[in-house]
Amino acid sequence: MAETIGKKNKHKVRTATVVLYIIAIFWTFMTLFPVAVTILASFKSKAEIYLNLMSWPKEFLIENYINANKTADALRTITNSLIVASLTTVANTVVGMMAAYILSRKDYKFLKFVYLFFMIGVMVPVHCTLIPINNLATGLNAKNNLFFLILIYVAFNMSQAIFLYTGFMDGISRNLDEAAIIDGCSNWSLLWRILFPVCKPIVATEAIFIFIAGYSELVFSMIMMTDSKFFTVSRAMLNFSSTHSQEIGNQFAFVVMSVIPMVLIYILFHKQIEKGMLSGAIKG
Amino acid sequence: MSKKSTVPKVKQKLDKKDLTISILFLLPAILICVVFIIYPVFDTFSLSFRKWNGMFGAVKEWVGMENYYKIVTDKMFWNAMLNSFYFMIGGFVILMPLAFGLALLVTSKIKGTSFFRTCYFLPCMLGTTAVALMWTFMLNPNFGVFHAIENLLGIDMPLPDVLTVKTLNVWIVILVNEWMYAGYNMLIFAAGLVAIPEDLNEAAALDGATGWQRIRYITLPLMKNSFKVFSILCITGCLKVFDIIWAMTRGGPNDISSTPSIMLYSQGFSYKLFGRSSAYGVILLVLGVVLSIVTNRIFREDKDLAM
Repeated sequence: MAETIGKKNKHKVRTATVVLYIIAIFWTFMTLFPVAVTILASFKSKAEIYLNLMSWPKEFLIENYINANKTADALRTITNSLIVASLTTVANTVVGMMAAYILSRKDYKFLKFVYLFFMIGVMVPVHCTLIPINNLATGLNAKNNLFFLILIYVAFNMSQAIFLYTGFMDGISRNLDEAAIIDGCSNWSLLWRILFPVCKPIVATEAIFIFIAGYSELVFSMIMMTDSKFFTVSRAMLNFSSTHSQEIGNQFAFVVMSVIPMVLIYILFHKQIEKGMLSGAIKG
Repeated sequence: MSKKSTVPKVKQKLDKKDLTISILFLLPAILICVVFIIYPVFDTFSLSFRKWNGMFGAVKEWVGMENYYKIVTDKMFWNAMLNSFYFMIGGFVILMPLAFGLALLVTSKIKGTSFFRTCYFLPCMLGTTAVALMWTFMLNPNFGVFHAIENLLGIDMPLPDVLTVKTLNVWIVILVNEWMYAGYNMLIFAAGLVAIPEDLNEAAALDGATGWQRIRYITLPLMKNSFKVFSILCITGCLKVFDIIWAMTRGGPNDISSTPSIMLYSQGFSYKLFGRSSAYGVILLVLGVVLSIVTNRIFREDKDLAM
């Protein structure tokens, strides 16, 4: 009797496992299919794409990539985006950590209000600042200025970063700083030499997310950048897809080129991202 | 913030210097937020009562509540609100079960979970515009996937451009959005799942609880917090959707696939109605703040009760 139940259960478990595998493989297919089609199409001629989008390329042509780079200046726009994303990430980390250090380690009464002030920043939707920031940029002659764009991105990542860093630092024992202070450590070196290394997991994960957001941001880049020399990659791709809508192959190639840096970063850091997310620290 | 330990007396002499340093450390962050967030909010507010064509030197004529009146009587505004609402519905009906299902999958005992996890998360690394364009190509009536299938089957019927069909286009964008963020939200749920002690499930399994029963009576109640995080993100995020719609349909044709933030953009930067666009900004801001306070309140109270 007991044996039959055991067998039945085993049988059930096996069916369940098979179902799980089927679902898992199905969603893997769903995820990779569009990516694979895009990559394959980027090597095909226009005629071949119209004939059958999903076929294997008869031969792998690199013309699409050459043309995308020539017409849309793909590499330059990717470089622009990489510059913007890296500087945003660095600035956010430095400025955010400095603020978080004070908020977490000092006891002044006004800090409560400063913290509240940053938290209000989380609630402001980015888009309602579009027009004033556009005016500000025109007034300061800061259109087509990558640094101004970076400052905007830094502002909109700030609250989230400070919130995360402060939370994390609050969890670090103060014994660590007290020992350092007795050793004559200044605020600056206490933050960067002692606390920063301890905060690395949260900083790294948040940095990756800030980087992705900065690399692919669209709205501000649309209003701030009017000269195609300074287009970021998202802006340039959209522009290219509407002005050269007939050159399908080139567009596929541009999309593939644009995601290469992100995929590389993902391959390098996916463990860090998963660890950060699974610890429940990062929530959007 | 936690309660601070008492400051050692030795430090008192250095108090003044310490205060200066504290302020200097906070200053860059505060300045950036004031210039790019706080000042713009006030400016938007003031502009929303005026009429302005965006030209420098042009008069910003005071018109009172006219902009707001024009917005709430415009049926495209309500259409945009409805589209945002669809995004929220899509989030709860499609994204949540999908992401939760995937989270169960990648935390289950099948082999290759780390491969599946890495794979599912990939789409949200690609960037919204790239994802949007990829799917726009897939859905293209002249060479997209459906066209290719027709070709294979030997059917020669012209396909409609699904991204121009009212309501359908919004739902297609929603599906693409869910495709992109399924992996991201999967990790939010997985974070809750891995925090559940393994012995609980084992004990239940020994007692003869089936998989479904274990999910229903152990997993779901213990996952409350992850569902809260998801709900807050989903509700407050639905007003802000911009990039993916803009990249796929430009909010069109004729604004029918717009959300309020796209209306804000097109009123300002396409139609040069900067006053009206600012009024959209204020509406977005108020709705955003109200929604995040309300959702936080609802879920926080719930949390206190649970404890």
